[in-house]
Amino acid sequence: MTDVTLIVNGETKTASVPPETTLLKMLREDLNYTGSKLGCDVGDCGACTVLVDGLAVNACLMLAGQAEGKEILTIEGLSTLEKYHPIQKAFEDVAALQCGFCGPGMIMTTKALIDQDEDVTRQNIKDALSGNLCRCTGYTKIIEGVIDAYQEITGKKLPEIKPRAA
Amino acid sequence: MKPFDFIQPATIDAAILALAEYSPNVRILNGGTDCLVELKHVAQSPGVVIDVSRLQGLKGIEIVDAGLRIGAGVTHTEIMADPLIKEHVPAMIDAAHTVGAVQTRNLGTLGGNLVTCVPSMDSGPTLLALDADVTILGAKGTRQSSLTDFFVAPRKTSLEPDELLLEIIIPKENLGKPASFIKFGLRKGQALALVNAASALWVEGNKFKDVRIALGAVAPVVIRASKAEALLEGQSVSEGLIQEAAKIAVGEAKPIDDFRASKEYRNDLIEVGTRRTLQAALGASNIQS
Ligand SMILES: Cc1cc2nc3c(=O)[nH]c(=O)nc-3n(C[C@H](O)[C@H](O)[C@H](O)COP(=O)(O)OP(=O)(O)OC[C@H]3O[C@@H](n4cnc5c(N)ncnc54)[C@H](O)[C@@H]3O)c2cc1C
Ligand code: FES
Ligand code: FES
Repeated sequence: MTDVTLIVNGETKTASVPPETTLLKMLREDLNYTGSKLGCDVGDCGACTVLVDGLAVNACLMLAGQAEGKEILTIEGLSTLEKYHPIQKAFEDVAALQCGFCGPGMIMTTKALIDQDEDVTRQNIKDALSGNLCRCTGYTKIIEGVIDAYQEITGKKLPEIKPRAA
Repeated sequence: MKPFDFIQPATIDAAILALAEYSPNVRILNGGTDCLVELKHVAQSPGVVIDVSRLQGLKGIEIVDAGLRIGAGVTHTEIMADPLIKEHVPAMIDAAHTVGAVQTRNLGTLGGNLVTCVPSMDSGPTLLALDADVTILGAKGTRQSSLTDFFVAPRKTSLEPDELLLEIIIPKENLGKPASFIKFGLRKGQALALVNAASALWVEGNKFKDVRIALGAVAPVVIRASKAEALLEGQSVSEGLIQEAAKIAVGEAKPIDDFRASKEYRNDLIEVGTRRTLQAALGASNIQS
């Protein structure tokens, strides 16, 4: 067993886990943060996306021991009892999700994109979300939600796409 | 995953000692985006897993005497954001950008990509086209190798079980060499390459010089298309010659037929990829001059 200490959503948490435990498993089963989902377990679907020191990673492809001492942000770290995070609010307002399983991953990837503090285009959003699969929605509403959240949080406008000349 | 012992050495020297002590029953782990997928599927425990993801000695991108040094532990995301890469080898940014999705690029490293030695690796072609070398460290000391010699067979490099890939070096004379990378997949995001390709060349007195063409996913390892290169070498720059070279490149590859694409389709992609990367490298050369 290895003792692993993480800073999850600002709180220091320690658990003793077998070395082959992934960060996702430790979060869900040892620390009870079940917001991050287990989908494919091999890095394809992004349902397990969390931020490690600010970067979006698949928690199923990192050993808990590799995250020792790092700052982990999960979906549980975004909202408070009183208030949704603006990304969550935007997703709710446009009805971005259906079953919601992909939601925590989508929202964490979106958070990392917006936190980068760079100008974003629709193409950047599609590129950023290409590692988050959704089996329900067809992505259109999710991308709308990301655009609304980006504009709300940064106060910027997404560049207009000029209609093609007829 | 099958249980294993987990070591996190604090220095490269400690990692080398651990490798020597436990090899061959040992696995090096960096970003884990290839290794952990594999360890989730194997029936046997790997024995000892050595985590090198915190080793500062594997990090960093800097100019050294030999050229541009990129630590084996540099991630694809770090490559995409690095000013030295942007200035000297911008084609590497395009290649890094095509590796998986952002989650994979944030963890996955350049060294890890090369050591997997899968034919479809997206870092391979550009580095081969720029004549990259690698530095390898083992208990017996360091050794230098060309990337060409490093790739031995599918999933097999020239690394001994007790050796660590330390860094990748782009030789000084190739910094700023006009180059281009292209990848064809079944879709834009997060798809393995059906074919990928890179070209690099100088133009001197309107003649092609030191032409390099590298192709991935079309042979057991990433290869150079030497006959196509030879056709262009020393010749006056012409579009017709580029088209001819692209046709010749097809004959140098042995793509497979599988459920993702037929051999015929891959052959078409080799021609298109060779042509477009040569054209783009030429375009970059025109902008430079
Ligand atoms: C969803 C997904 C999508 C992907 N898409 C792509 C893609 O589009 N293109 C692509 O090329 N790859 C892709 N990959 C493969 C992988 O992400 C890359 O090859 C990555 O660069 C591997 O780096 P790593 O640091 O994660 O390696 P690891 O998984 O840590 O290691 C890979 C191998 O290299 C060895 N190793 C690692 N570092 C060293 C070292 N310094 N010295 C000696 N041995 C070492 C390990 O023992 C292991 O055998 C994808 C993977 C996933 C999960
Ligand atoms: S569960 Fe981690 S990427 Fe699918
Ligand atoms: S809403 Fe169901 S998977 Fe995305």
